[in-house]
Amino acid sequence: MRDLIVLAVVGAGTYALRAAFLLTADARPPALLERFLPYVAPAVLAAIAVPGLLAPRGIVSVGETLPAVVAAAVTWLLWARFKQLPVALIGGLALWWLLEAVTP
Amino acid sequence: MSALSRGAARGAAPDTEGTRARPARDGIRDALAVIAAYVPFGLALGATLAATSVDPVVAWSSSFLVFAGAAQLVAVQLLDDGALPVIVVLTALVVNSRHLLYSASLAVHTRDWSRGWRAGGAYFLADPVYALAIARFEGREREDGAARLRYYVAMALTCWGGWLLLTAAGILLGGLLPATLPLELAAPLTFLLLLIPTLKSRATWAAAVAAGGTATLAAPLPLGLGLLLAAAVGMAAGAITERMSHA
Repeated sequence: MRDLIVLAVVGAGTYALRAAFLLTADARPPALLERFLPYVAPAVLAAIAVPGLLAPRGIVSVGETLPAVVAAAVTWLLWARFKQLPVALIGGLALWWLLEAVTP
Repeated sequence: MSALSRGAARGAAPDTEGTRARPARDGIRDALAVIAAYVPFGLALGATLAATSVDPVVAWSSSFLVFAGAAQLVAVQLLDDGALPVIVVLTALVVNSRHLLYSASLAVHTRDWSRGWRAGGAYFLADPVYALAIARFEGREREDGAARLRYYVAMALTCWGGWLLLTAAGILLGGLLPATLPLELAAPLTFLLLLIPTLKSRATWAAAVAAGGTATLAAPLPLGLGLLLAAAVGMAAGAITERMSHA
């Protein structure tokens, strides 16, 4: 019960973060902030993706980084070629498994 | 049409902006493609939640209470460690603070929605929902507010239902997932695929490169603060590049 209450409070706080600007949409965001908003998506998504691609298990090394970067490049190429998210993801992940299996 | 929805539309009947637009159908189609890409991450997350001492149903309830994978993972693992409730809440909210940026970014496109729809829509503003919505809205400046709302509601509900099912499947199947198939790269690859359609200009590239580099260097920082720092550096790099290209 205690765990459920804690998770509900986390949920309420998360909702407040998500609603903050949507519910004050009549007031425009400050001009300074507005110049930075077009870069929220590329900045945050890259900040989540890139560390995991360079160090999937938290370590940067040739054996860890190279297979992951090659798999990421192939995922990108598959996306550019087929424009299908699942195809690109499964292709990249399968290549990574293969590279992990052949590297000592 | 955004690169993301154009991609997902391959093979479907051509729909043009205007009278033949089917925003709700587009939303479901784009969301299903993202859910398919989230399968490895969702299953792995569910399996990790199931491995904690937290009651599995309570752990799964975070999928609709919080609806944000990384924060669910952090919160349930801290509960498993017996951390103080206030620590659990603060840590999860720092991890989720990027949603404040999503809110500011999306608000530009939702001004003509009623307050009720904006209040309801906010609940669903998780990473993939934000990424799909912003790709669609920035790609179709002429789409009206009602069509944008239909796209958002259909897409967000589909993502939400998919996430509840995926994490439940991960919890139920947790012990059965083959340990020989490592899934550490599934989440970064999924986010890479959400990132690619946002790279539309030199400034967005600068933002992504600066943020990605900063996040990698700042990874040792606690509480996911590296992500916040990286987001700030990336947004500044984008704005500066934009300004320099107009100088």
